Amino acid sequence: MSRRPPKGEYIETDTGNKVARKATLVGTQNIMLGGKTVIQPEVMIRGDLARSVPPTSSSGGAPANNTAVAIGRYCFLSRGCVLRPAGRLYKGVFTYMPLRMNDHVFVGPGSVIQAASIGSHVHIGARVVVGELAIIKDYVRILDDSIVPPNMVIPSFSIVAGQPARVIGEVPEGGHEAFELRDLYKTVGNNPQPAPS
Amino acid sequence: MSKRHSIVPPISQAGPKPPVQLSSSLTIADSAVLTGSHPIAIHGETVIHPRARIESLCGRVTIGRRCIVHERATLGAVGVSGRVTENAVTLGDYVTIEVGAAIQAGETVIGDGTTVGVQAKVGAGAVVGKHCTLTPHTEIAAGEVIPDYTVIYSNGMRRTDRRGVTELRNKAQARQIEVLRRMIPSNPAKFA
Repeated sequence: MSRRPPKGEYIETDTGNKVARKATLVGTQNIMLGGKTVIQPEVMIRGDLARSVPPTSSSGGAPANNTAVAIGRYCFLSRGCVLRPAGRLYKGVFTYMPLRMNDHVFVGPGSVIQAASIGSHVHIGARVVVGELAIIKDYVRILDDSIVPPNMVIPSFSIVAGQPARVIGEVPEGGHEAFELRDLYKTVGNNPQPAPS
Repeated sequence: MSKRHSIVPPISQAGPKPPVQLSSSLTIADSAVLTGSHPIAIHGETVIHPRARIESLCGRVTIGRRCIVHERATLGAVGVSGRVTENAVTLGDYVTIEVGAAIQAGETVIGDGTTVGVQAKVGAGAVVGKHCTLTPHTEIAAGEVIPDYTVIYSNGMRRTDRRGVTELRNKAQARQIEVLRRMIPSNPAKFA
């Protein structure tokens, strides 16, 4: 192929999301991106696994929210990772639970995320497996090759590693600036900027 | 209804189209990949997620009833030897193959009710017993024989599952399949 591809590698939306054309997003109508989120090639998001039982809400007139995967701002999904909502039996009926991800979440290459919720400023390393319905709070660092068991709750400011994963330390005082993903966001896309040194 | 369409890049349907024997109650996603030259048989009420790969280059692949094969899982991956055997991969009933797991070809057998965890690998010729659980990133060496009810952790630790929840797990699997059948648009005609 001699001709340059006419289209860029990424689709950039009005809200600043950068979605690779080679990413596999299934059921996009159920995927919410907060803006300024980067989705690299070969990422797979299963939006089709939506909640099959409507949540019992007090406001009966509200329209059913079918979001399967909600992602906040400045999230970074590296190459080859998979995001899929986890399922469980709820009141005797099998249903998928939505996967919620807050702002500034980094997901390393080759990781598989089946969590229920992920807080903000979370760093998930490479080849990590987050088990079904795990809850990860804010400012958590999960090291490479960890396996977070199903239903685990990881408190804020923990460093987690191992197979199965356990809390091995705490994020040091002042260490939370390292979780900012604004600069990383600028380094990818159709006209990437070099990372500030 | 939303006007947005799923952006799913086209999959390379490389290799020959295998002769298939699909049950009518099967749920198979459009973007699953079946390839190879030997027959692939999939029995009733099994669910094949999008982007799952089933390869029959090294022999026949048989999948039992009510199995779930998740996305990016590979059944019948060609191993180092690449030799052709009569049955490449045989899955029993109620088997779950999770995301990104790989089962190598070559008389490999996975017993009834076994769960193969995320990105686990099962080597060629391994025989995994019934109702076993392989946790994520587990690797089973080629030719290994795993007794029934074994739980294998990725750090090599093993124990026997004495909880006796087989019935419950099968029931939960049946419920899950019921839901998935409504969620995943099935297109068996594409593979026939």
